[in-house]
Order: sequence, then structure tokens, then C-alpha cells
Amino acid sequence: MKWRVHIENYGFLLPSFLLTAVLGIYPIFWAMRYMFYDYKGYGDMIYIGFDNFTRLWGDELFWEAVRNTIVYAGGKIVITIPLSLIIAVILDRGLKGRNFLRALYFMPTVISTAVIAVVFFIIFNSYNGLLNQFLTKNRLVSSAIDWLGPDYAMLTVIILAVWGAIGNYMLLFLAGLQSIPGDLYESAEIDGASPFQKFWKITVPMLGPVMQMIIMLAITVSLKGYESIMVLTEGGPIGKTEVMYLYVYKLLFPVSTGSAMIQEIGYGSAVGFATAIIVGVITGFYFMLSRRLNRIY
Amino acid sequence: MNGIGKWVSRVILWLFLLIIAFFTVFPVLMTILGSFKSNLELASGATIWPKEWHFSNYAEAWKQANFSTYTWNSLFVSVASTVGTLIVASMAGYVMDRRNFIGKRFFVVMQASTMFISIGAVVLRPQFELMVDLRLNQSLWGVVFILISAHATTFFILMGFFKAIPRDVDEAAMIDGCSFMGIYWRMILPLLKPGLGVTALFAFRTAWNEYILPLVFTMNTPKLQTLTVGLTNLRYGSGAAMQTHLMMAGACLSMLPILVVYFFANRSFMQVTAGSVKG
Repeated sequence: MKWRVHIENYGFLLPSFLLTAVLGIYPIFWAMRYMFYDYKGYGDMIYIGFDNFTRLWGDELFWEAVRNTIVYAGGKIVITIPLSLIIAVILDRGLKGRNFLRALYFMPTVISTAVIAVVFFIIFNSYNGLLNQFLTKNRLVSSAIDWLGPDYAMLTVIILAVWGAIGNYMLLFLAGLQSIPGDLYESAEIDGASPFQKFWKITVPMLGPVMQMIIMLAITVSLKGYESIMVLTEGGPIGKTEVMYLYVYKLLFPVSTGSAMIQEIGYGSAVGFATAIIVGVITGFYFMLSRRLNRIY
Repeated sequence: MNGIGKWVSRVILWLFLLIIAFFTVFPVLMTILGSFKSNLELASGATIWPKEWHFSNYAEAWKQANFSTYTWNSLFVSVASTVGTLIVASMAGYVMDRRNFIGKRFFVVMQASTMFISIGAVVLRPQFELMVDLRLNQSLWGVVFILISAHATTFFILMGFFKAIPRDVDEAAMIDGCSFMGIYWRMILPLLKPGLGVTALFAFRTAWNEYILPLVFTMNTPKLQTLTVGLTNLRYGSGAAMQTHLMMAGACLSMLPILVVYFFANRSFMQVTAGSVKG
């Protein structure tokens, strides 16, 4: 009888455990081993100790990617969070058509980032993109803007990221807003508070813990994102939109992106690990900082 | 506040909402309308509404540009991985919620860690080597298994739904002589339908939209490419003679199924996202 129970328990858990262990956990340990080797995907594996990490320290391309990632993630968050909070606050009040608008704003989250990046490429293409066609034909600009060129590529990539993110964060804020008791607003209204006062004195402070979590989520997600950039600009031009995880991808699978980089499994693993640590440090730093901010209230 | 001030603030508010709505819909609308335009019109027309409706774009994409194969592959990967994810996650969730045994905590930590640790594309390399060893690299099953292995989110969402099913159900069935497996299959799964429905939508969306994984696995086997991979290849293969009309039609083929699902089930989609904040 007892054995039967054990077999049932672990038997039901087995498929989940096996898949997670083999395809989720094992690859991480695999990379932990290879980051100490010089391995190009063929030929010999040479143990080189911490050489990959000393190389990383002096790798200008990587630090450029780190800077770009911070600009990209920062830009995305600075635009997305306030916009989605404002939308959420507006929709939280009994507005006509709020359910329709909520569903509309959330729609981008169901569309593939790779597919929408192709569409953005067609729209923002500098040579004959739809946007430049409109701008030049209607004489809004004198000459076509090089949206995917060195000056504007980062902006275009951020616009794409914001497009995909607003609906998601709006919904998270809406869920958070529902936890604020309505009588707080009622008593403020009796005291003659204006909508702006209500927003700054009630909504924002009461949303504190939820806000902290949502921004934390936004930070990790935006630091990790590279799919849309890969399709839209391939990290270019001249590395202007190269982000950390895209650099990792290119080191492991250079053929598919058409980049001139050489496959470096060992070094790529080291970069992947360093990137995970950087993401962890930034997230942890934010967490400590925001906890202190929370104490004010 | 006086009447005029209220009126002005209302106008500003609606203007803001409409601008965001326009920004949201614009790329999707341009894709749908663009998929009916000729390549020439797309390249230089500066039109919103197609001058002539070229329904042939779809026929061309479907037959010449292999989108029939891509669609079939996407459908196979999405359906197989959705079913697999639901079975694997619901089995684990069932014992985790109803039984007590050694290693429960370890299992939860393991699942949670897969959600938070990310070393990027590095993991694809050992995953690919494993699939070569298992001889699964010449089919899409490798992709399916890897997608199923990322079932931690589904598992945690389902755990919430399991808690809502009263334990009396299990006990009553057990007294009637139903086995553990029988209870899971005949009692629990039917009661879990709302949770399964919601998580199925999510698993399907994830698989349908997945890009990097099928890209890496089907780099040398065009026959196995999914819609996302096939479509982006058109963009990489672009040069002077970009086939924009085919890209638009292809993008539509990839977007529309999930948009149709979203149209009918947007409440369920939003329910899970909102639930992640409430905890």
C-alpha cells in the first residue's frame, strides 16, 4: 500500500521533473562547464581557466552592448510605465467603452514579436518604408528620415518595444488599482481634493508595493529582450542597437544572423553567464533602492 | 469644477485614449490592408487603402513562398506543445496539491528557478545536441519537447486552480473505489476545465509566436520552418527586390489566427495577466 502511494506520487511528477531537469536545468550546468573552455563548436576543447572572463573584461563590443541594453531598457520603461499607468487610471473609472478599449490596448501582447518586427521593418524602412513615403509625399519632412540608421535605430527599436508592452503593463496596473479601497477617494472628494491631488496623494502611494513589483518585472523583461531587435535591425547599424543577449546569441549562432562573427561556444557561455549576473545585479540594486523609497509612505 | 473645464478635460482625455488606440492598431491595420496591395504600391504608393485588391498575394504566399508548409508546421508545434504542457503541468500540479511527500519543496524551487535564471541563447546549444542524440532534430518534436519543458508558468497557474477544487471530490470518488489515476482523469480534469482553458490559450500563444527556438532548430531544414521563421527569412533575404507584398500576406497569415482567438477569448487572456499581480 505504501509503495503504491510512492509510485503514484513520483510517477505523476516524473514527466515534469524529467523535462525540467534535462531541458531546463542541465543546459545551465552545461554552460557553466564550457565557459572555462576555448571551444568553437568543432575541433578541440581547450581548458583555459578564467581566460574567457579576462577577455570579456576587455571586450569593447560587449560593454557597448551593455550600454545599449541600459539605454534600450531605460527608454522602454520610462515611456511605458507612465503611459500605461495613466491609461489604467483613466480606464479604472467607469468610462463608456472601457472594456473595448482595454481589449484593444492589450491586443499587441498576443502578436508575435518577430512578426511585428517584420511589419515595423516595412513601415520604418529608410529607403521605401511606408512612414517615409507618407512623410515625404505630404511634405512633412524635406528628405526621408533614416529610421533604421545610426541616429534613429535605437529610437525605432524602443518604439517597437513600447508598442508591445503598454497593454500588458496597463492590465497589471488595472489589477493593482482594484485593490485600492474606493472610500479613500470618496472621503478625499468630500474634502475637496482635485483629480490630480487624488492621483498623487492616494493612487500613487497606495499603488506602492504593486508598482515596485511591476517596475521590477519591467526591468528584467526589458533587459532580457532581444528577439524584436534581432529581426528589426540585427543589432545594427554599426552595433548601435546591439544588446547583451543578442550578442550572446550571435556568439553561439552567427550563421543565422548573417553577421561576420565567428562561432564561440566557450566564450559565448561566459558572456551569457556574465549577462545573467548583470541582470541580477541591476534587479537587486533596484529592489534595495525601491524598498527604501517605499518606506517614505 | 466648472462646466467648460470639465468639458475640456474630457476632450483631452479622449484625445489621449484615441492617440494610443491609433498607435496600437496602426501596424496591424497596415499589415492587413498592405497584404492586398501590389508590391509596387507598397514600395511607392503612399496609400492607406489599396488601389486594387490583390487577393492573389495570398495564393502566391501560400503556394510559391511555402506558407502552406509554414502554417502546417506552426499548427503542429502549437497544438502538440499545448496538449503536452497541459498534461505534464496538470499531473504535477495534482500530486503537488493533494499529496505530501519528500522533495516537494525542492520541486517548487526547481520550477521557480527555471523562470528566473536566464543565460540567453546559450541553452539552445546543449538542447540541440541532446535532440541530435535522441534523433529528434530531423522533426519538430525536438522543438515541441523544449516548449513543453518550459511549463513552470502553467504549473503555477494551475496550482491556483487546484486549490479551488474541494478535496471532498477526491474522497467521495475514492470511497466509490476510484483509483488515483481514475480520480485525476474522471473527476479532477473535468473540474479543472476553466484553468486548463486559460493556460491552453497561453501555451498556444507562446508556441505560435515562438521564434528563436524554431529558427535555431530548423536552420538547415526549410521544410520544418514555422510561420515566424519563414516570414523573417523573407526579410533577411530582402535586398533590392524585396517582396513586401508576400511579407505582408505572410505576416497576416501568422497574425490572424491568434487575433481571431483573441477576439473570442480576450477576457481569459487578460484574466491570467491580471491574476499575476493579485497573487
